[in-house]
Amino acid sequence: MPFDIFHTKALFCELVFVCIYIVSIHRINFLIVGKLNMNNSIKTVVIVGGGTAGWITAGRIAAKHQSNSTTTVNVVLVESAKVPTINVGEGTWPTMRKTLIALGIRETDFIRECDGSFKQGAKFARWLDGSDNDFYYHPLVLPQGFVKGDLSPYWHAMQQGKNAGTSFSNAVCFQESICEQSLAPKTIRSGEYSDIANYAYHLDSGKFSKFLQKHCLEKLGVTHIVDDVVAVINHDNGDIAAVATTANGKISGDLFVDCTGFASLLLGKHYQVPFIECNDVLFIDNALAVQVPYEDENSPIASHTISTAQEAGWIWDIGLYHRRGVGHVYSSNHTSEDEATQRLADYVGPRIKDLSIRKIPIHSGHREKFWHKNCVAVGLSAGFLEPLEASALVLVELSAEFISEQLPQTRQVMDVVAKRFNETFLYRWQKIIDFLKLHYLLSKRTDNKFWHDNRDPQSVPESLQEMMELWRYRSPADFDFTSNNEVFPAASYQYVLYGMGFKSDYKHSPHLLNDWDFANKQFSMTEKMIQQALKQLPSNRELLDKIKQYGFTAL
Amino acid sequence: MSKLVAIDNINHRNIKIDTNKIESHGATMHLAPAVVAEFAHLATHYPIVLAKDGDTGQFVCSAMLGFQAGENLFWDNGQWQAVYVPLQVRRQPFFLGDDTTTDTENQSPQYIVCLDVESPSVGDQGEALYNENGEESDYFTEAKAKLAELLRGEHENKAFIETLLSMDLLESMAVEIKFINEESIRLNGLYTIKQETLAKLSGEQLSQLHENNYLEAIYAMVISVGQMYSLIDKKNQRLSA
Repeated sequence: MPFDIFHTKALFCELVFVCIYIVSIHRINFLIVGKLNMNNSIKTVVIVGGGTAGWITAGRIAAKHQSNSTTTVNVVLVESAKVPTINVGEGTWPTMRKTLIALGIRETDFIRECDGSFKQGAKFARWLDGSDNDFYYHPLVLPQGFVKGDLSPYWHAMQQGKNAGTSFSNAVCFQESICEQSLAPKTIRSGEYSDIANYAYHLDSGKFSKFLQKHCLEKLGVTHIVDDVVAVINHDNGDIAAVATTANGKISGDLFVDCTGFASLLLGKHYQVPFIECNDVLFIDNALAVQVPYEDENSPIASHTISTAQEAGWIWDIGLYHRRGVGHVYSSNHTSEDEATQRLADYVGPRIKDLSIRKIPIHSGHREKFWHKNCVAVGLSAGFLEPLEASALVLVELSAEFISEQLPQTRQVMDVVAKRFNETFLYRWQKIIDFLKLHYLLSKRTDNKFWHDNRDPQSVPESLQEMMELWRYRSPADFDFTSNNEVFPAASYQYVLYGMGFKSDYKHSPHLLNDWDFANKQFSMTEKMIQQALKQLPSNRELLDKIKQYGFTAL
Repeated sequence: MSKLVAIDNINHRNIKIDTNKIESHGATMHLAPAVVAEFAHLATHYPIVLAKDGDTGQFVCSAMLGFQAGENLFWDNGQWQAVYVPLQVRRQPFFLGDDTTTDTENQSPQYIVCLDVESPSVGDQGEALYNENGEESDYFTEAKAKLAELLRGEHENKAFIETLLSMDLLESMAVEIKFINEESIRLNGLYTIKQETLAKLSGEQLSQLHENNYLEAIYAMVISVGQMYSLIDKKNQRLSA
């Protein structure tokens, strides 16, 4: 029963009715309004939900399409004051620098206001056998000379010789040494966003989302509506015409972005797009998170994420400027909450008794598709995986970038864009799942069934098994990852494989070892760069203090 | 080494400054801090560049005297071989110190004039600071005026640099030099005027620069880059000597 959308009085009456109806059954219902003209241009993007996902997406679209001018795309973000945001995504990728630049944000402002600090990769401790000196790095700098040649065969060969014992990451990359000394990736003389060693950030998620909100509203012309979405109003073709709110009535749009977190209000609840579980591959299903203050104001700030394996999961440790974020993710099929809490307490130390521990359930998996009709999900509404490689925020950034760069001009072309978005992101989710699984696959830990189950071939995706077959005889290489949409480069696989003690056997391809001149040059270059960096770089804390005091120059 | 003490007309009544020894303070300087007001003079001898302070990362204006730390190519045979010597050198051996004795809460900051008593120029030869009656000498008054000019310059420099940044008028210099002995160096961390933007400034921007008297300084910087050649010349002469 279509009715005139301009007949606001009638609509209002309907909405009041709908509100009551929805609140009582906790499910979004929808009304149908009018026929959609497929040739109309995309003028208004409505983003539902205002966490980091919502504001990053709003910002990217508004910045690209100049929403602060009068002529172009209008970006509206509607969020409920009642729904708390999750706020544990504190680790980023170097892509965040690109995102902040695209949003027109100064690095100095970002670091000051979000308690940001520098992250130069991840240190995985106790993952191999659980012993005290068991650790390896996944740095953010490529192996030395990676674009010209592959050092892995030479490093393998050296493991038999007199230089045995240098870890893969330390032999081919200068970043591990920087991290081990808690040094910063640049100096106060480096301009905004420029680096000496590649870096990402650790950030305070709650502050970040407020910071982005302010920037989006003041600089980028995003419209902000704080209200509860109570109903979805459809066009007769099933597209979303508008969302209905309690106080602001109907908010119409041409494209709707679902940033409603785990609730997945539009894509999940409204469109019932199925959720694909991956708990048969990744067993983590709970997190216990805690905010730990530093011992004192001179305590070193780690310039990398530390992930320490536990008997049935692992603990993250993220150093922000003003505190650490620590959390234990575990598999409830393999340990109890009490046990897990105890592991967290052992890690944090006696101070844990003064801190409040927050429990967050983790539902590993993603939606079957992410863009359906004129609705696309970004952030937790699209899916979530354990934060082993900080994949949450980077997927938000990549989604926001895709949407803003490829924003369909009309509804007619949207289906094509949607199809491509779905293909791209399904591929990305699968690759991330493979890569996370790789971390577990090579562990020799036996202290809990958790590790045995993780090594069970039944739990390993076929795509990963196939690659592991190939890598028995050669190192991961760029031609293994040929999509434009790769998330992890071959170098990342090398760092994890060889960090975890995997051995590729090059006996069938001796030619991979016929340029020792090149290899030796790269190894000694790495050593030289380590010496230089240790001399030149300030501590992470010292640089952050200076940023608070002086700031970076724009150039 | 330097040791700064506040100057008064009792302890320092008989002290004299040997003005011939002042310039030796810059003997091992390769970048001399400069103030905007002296750019036109500096440009007649030195490349004027921007570099970043190692401690704060903030831009500082400098006259380039050499290509590496410790090298002042204008210092030769115990003398400064140029008619115009940067104000930062000529101000020696006097400094401004924060006056911590007065209540500065409701006033602009107060400064006291200090003397580097370790300076080779300080002794019993040369210009007196005070005359027989204990009154300031003309020399000392002039020395104080130089300090005042530097202080004023500090604020002016800051505003100048902010303006350059806001108009996207700075770019990093990519200089690779091969000296006569085949040794080549790459200069990093120096910045100069981005002429591409300068050529495209709007009338409004130009008039803003003009009103602040920045145009002269900007063009002095542009022209001074040519002094890089005479600096290379000096270096080559040293290498072949």
